[in-house]
Amino acid sequence: MSEQPAAVDLVDIWKRFPGVIANAGANLTVRPGTVHAVLGENGAGKTTLMNVLAGVYRPESGSVLIGGHEHAFANPAAAIDAGVVMVHQEFRLIPTFTVAENVALGQSPRILAKRSIEESVGELAERFGLATEPDKEVWQLSMGERQRVEILKALWRDAKVLILDEPTAVLTPDEATELGRIVAAMAADGRSIIFISHKLDEVTAFCDEATVLRGGSTVAASLPVQDIDAGRLAELMVGEATEVSIRRQRTTEIGPAVLSLEGLSVRDDRGVAVVNGVSLTVGAGEIVGIAGVAGNGQRPLADAVAGLQQLEAGAIALSGDDVTTAPPRTRSGAGLAYVPEDRLGVGLAPKLNVVENSILRSYRSLKKGPFIDQGAATAACEGLIDEYNVKVGKLDAPMAGLSGGNLQRLLVGRELADDPIVLIAAQPTRGLDVQGVAAIQEILVDQARSGTGILLISEDLDELLALSDRLLVMHEGSVVAEFDPDDVTRAEVGAAMAGAH
Amino acid sequence: MNETTVIGLLIAVLEFGTLLYLAALGETIAEKSGVLNLGVEGMMAMGGVAAFWAGVETGNPWVALLVGVIAGALFSAIHGVVAVVMGADQVVSGLALTIGGLGLAAFLGQDLVVQAPGARFEATNLGPLNDVPWIGEIVFDQTAVSWIALALGVIAWFVLTRTRVGLILRAVGESASAADSSGTSVVKTRMIAVMIGGALAGMSGAYLTLALAPGWSEGTTAGRGWIAVALVIFGAWQPGRVGLGALLFGGLLALEPRLQTFGVEVSPILLSMLPYLLTVGVLVVLSIRSRHRPSAAPAAIGQAYRREDR
Amino acid sequence: MPSPLAFEKRESPLRGGQIRAFAVGVVVALLLGSILLLVSGHDPIEVYTKMFDSAFGSRRGISTTLTRAVPLGLAGLAVAVAGSMGLWNIGAEGQIIAGAIGAAWIARLGPDLPGPLLITLMLVGAVVGGGFLALGPALAKSRLGVNEIITTLMLNEVAIRVVRYLVNGPWKDPEGNNFPIAPELPEQSALPALFERANIGLVIAAFVLLAFGVYTARSAWGYELRIAGSSESAATYAGISLKAKVFTVLLLSGAIAGLAGGIELTGSSDRLVEGVANGWGYAGIIVAALALMRPSGVAAVAIAFGAVQVGGLSIQTLGVPAAIASILQALILFGALSAAVFTNYRLVRRSTRSAAAAVAS
Repeated sequence: MSEQPAAVDLVDIWKRFPGVIANAGANLTVRPGTVHAVLGENGAGKTTLMNVLAGVYRPESGSVLIGGHEHAFANPAAAIDAGVVMVHQEFRLIPTFTVAENVALGQSPRILAKRSIEESVGELAERFGLATEPDKEVWQLSMGERQRVEILKALWRDAKVLILDEPTAVLTPDEATELGRIVAAMAADGRSIIFISHKLDEVTAFCDEATVLRGGSTVAASLPVQDIDAGRLAELMVGEATEVSIRRQRTTEIGPAVLSLEGLSVRDDRGVAVVNGVSLTVGAGEIVGIAGVAGNGQRPLADAVAGLQQLEAGAIALSGDDVTTAPPRTRSGAGLAYVPEDRLGVGLAPKLNVVENSILRSYRSLKKGPFIDQGAATAACEGLIDEYNVKVGKLDAPMAGLSGGNLQRLLVGRELADDPIVLIAAQPTRGLDVQGVAAIQEILVDQARSGTGILLISEDLDELLALSDRLLVMHEGSVVAEFDPDDVTRAEVGAAMAGAH
Repeated sequence: MNETTVIGLLIAVLEFGTLLYLAALGETIAEKSGVLNLGVEGMMAMGGVAAFWAGVETGNPWVALLVGVIAGALFSAIHGVVAVVMGADQVVSGLALTIGGLGLAAFLGQDLVVQAPGARFEATNLGPLNDVPWIGEIVFDQTAVSWIALALGVIAWFVLTRTRVGLILRAVGESASAADSSGTSVVKTRMIAVMIGGALAGMSGAYLTLALAPGWSEGTTAGRGWIAVALVIFGAWQPGRVGLGALLFGGLLALEPRLQTFGVEVSPILLSMLPYLLTVGVLVVLSIRSRHRPSAAPAAIGQAYRREDR
Repeated sequence: MPSPLAFEKRESPLRGGQIRAFAVGVVVALLLGSILLLVSGHDPIEVYTKMFDSAFGSRRGISTTLTRAVPLGLAGLAVAVAGSMGLWNIGAEGQIIAGAIGAAWIARLGPDLPGPLLITLMLVGAVVGGGFLALGPALAKSRLGVNEIITTLMLNEVAIRVVRYLVNGPWKDPEGNNFPIAPELPEQSALPALFERANIGLVIAAFVLLAFGVYTARSAWGYELRIAGSSESAATYAGISLKAKVFTVLLLSGAIAGLAGGIELTGSSDRLVEGVANGWGYAGIIVAALALMRPSGVAAVAIAFGAVQVGGLSIQTLGVPAAIASILQALILFGALSAAVFTNYRLVRRSTRSAAAAVAS
């Protein structure tokens, strides 16, 4: 039996961006007809490596071999011609186009016969078991349906290699299972699927082999998933000796309720219910964790509490005072602090400088007449920098120039500067390096000790288990379970996250 | 009011309609690809002066028209390079194209102001057809350029809605990153769309100086380029609707000098505000309608695209 | 074939990039302009010398340049105030006209008022007039999210026709030999002279620019404006009401442009005419863009553009059309816009291997 050439062979790939080396000698080999996991923490270089393979980025050095032939893709078109198609994390779909138009874009007859293209798209979808309506416009579709359109696009171009970048992040557990079936059908058809993820259960369920990246390089290549346990993969991802960085003494004395939510419901702008009747309380000094698969209502819940999202129903009280209809400003004045998930877009103004960003919460109290006291503003900024160990260049340089960890330290520090009564921390450690994670977690723990009630929303189960006094699980917009973190296994929480009761 | 004045009015409606439609169709194509070009007025002036000059030099209206088209296309390429290739702001670049275009046309045309037209388009001679009452007298009493405009409108509609090229063009205007990831060159597509827009604006200007009002003077475009920009919105970025809008706005332009003949005691100047006010009205209605569904405007309009930004 | 060159984002913006870009724009404009002049049989050196001389060579020239810079600077400020929040007021041209109409109206109502009072009221009328024209776009944008670029642009053409209507109809000067002009303004409505051709309008404009410069840089209001301009979500998060901000900023922008119309009417003309705005509103957009929406920059660019306009008029005696001024302004912008890209990006050769050593070492 002659050895078939690898479907994909990436050799010693280097790619740098201003200020970061995203890939430092990464390797990847994928056999034809297999599902291959690419694992790594946020910032390990997975997405960059895949963008190199898909022709979006050009590497500074290294070789890209597809089916044994070397390629230097000038653009995504060249990669597509070679049979490599990437399904990006943010979908590249055109909302006002129909499913069929989106699928046919890039490869269609010169003259478009609407009906016949819709039929062909429908047939292709059926062949791989992808449920879809070809004549519907994409803006009307759910996230899961949109993802199927993306996969259809790849199949339409007869992709031999499909790259799925964190495909389950936006899916419900049912949809994720469905995706597993589709992926298997495509592999059985002789195609290779690269499955990027940091969720180990999916990797073991869907994939044949796994390659692990850390710090931009490959630390383990093509491990057979069957023969390796999830714990070993986790170790490889995070590197040596990274126990969960912090173990917190649970709060014994929980103070009076500082935040209470009563039957909170929220609809998104498409009118879909995204939060359904959530009720919870956070006591002074307590950390209440919220676990859940991304997209199960955590973000709208946090936004609603902060006053950035309109409520469909329900009530919110801060230290017993009703703030259900209060604008964000009143809530923050009443002692509510918020570290939003989208740091640079919501929590900070990227183009403004470090001082200006430091006073976003407090500038109204720094006024001298109509003017902002520049001296006080600078002093406040320097205070934050000192206390939270933020590394900045010039104070008048744009915020966007800071690294992720420093951005987050400044943001968290700013929110905690006037000792809030309640802190909502949404994904506070996502994407940070190990030191950054530890620093932020320590800050949260200290803050709780000083009496602040913290609602901690995270996708990192270990973080939640380590920090929370109580752990709630959200699924499809509702709180479906509550656990004592000292008395629960990861598997039990995982089952609840997946919607099992 | 007698039959002759009504026929005269309707002839003028189609003439002004042609003028506006050519420019607005070009702008529609550019905007469909995601590039707002506020330089229509300048491109019209450039096309107009170039065509008039070529008419004087060659005496051939077709050569003159072609020169106008080429001048418009080349001039629009400045906007293409600055706003599409370099990725500078489309609003400012387009406005500068208008200011610079009006200035350059005046500069180049300073000696042409006193010139008699060297070439002009006459109404097509279709023999007995021209004598058919009403239809023949109005519809067939137009120059060949009007027929070209009509044909271009149909072609544009067909290409935009029924072909691969149109699909790609619209995709680039809706989401550059989506189009890019399906293997389309965003910059190339936009550049071509901008230059088609320039070519049609140039043709519109040429029609003005060769057919509608043969001659050249500074300011002869008289703000018609802005009406064309308005028309694109009024027609919701669809070649057919833009065409209907061109007839409506063309009708208002044609009516302006004739109001008094029809015994209407309203200042024609007030009438001439209508296209702009109607467009604002349509824009408001479109905005209200698009609250619960995507807007009719190309989603990526005004946004430069660079792939490796992150 | 894909281009071998690509833009790559710089790690940090080039220091002083915008000033360099402006300089590049001026050089490009002068070079391309001289080609145009050479082709049309003029000596560029002679033309440019004459332009510079007439703009800066004498007290009288300087006073004219500064007077031209007043409407340019105020229109530029109007655009910049909106621009610092990410809004485009393309309607300065119309708002200048509306301001002039407002001022002229006051003069019609109270032709016998004493000078200082009349002038003050006229300028107030101008501010109200400019703001009035911006009211519709401000409401539509803040309430319904209607694109302000198009609404303000459309209202320019409406304003042009309103003033045309007025000077051809109800406000037409009966003793104007049938010219489309309004009657002469009362004598005491003229802004007091400052030196040579410059009048108090220069002081007013300078004060407004300075006040806004300081106020937007230092006040909580200006701070909120910058936050809103940087990120809408961040503004909402900080408890800043975007709708109210959008509304007031567009209204204010219109009012500032209106003031330009009032100063132009009371300072530089003796009656309302159709061409009162003279393209300054559009030029103001270019001024603001070149000044990166900063009031301090607006003043400098406005003076430069004022000089180009004064110079452009002066070279008509050499047989060069004044249109060269418009051409030069547009060329400066195209040059500067293109050059400004290099403030944030650099052009790199696309390569697959060559950079390996650099990264590895």
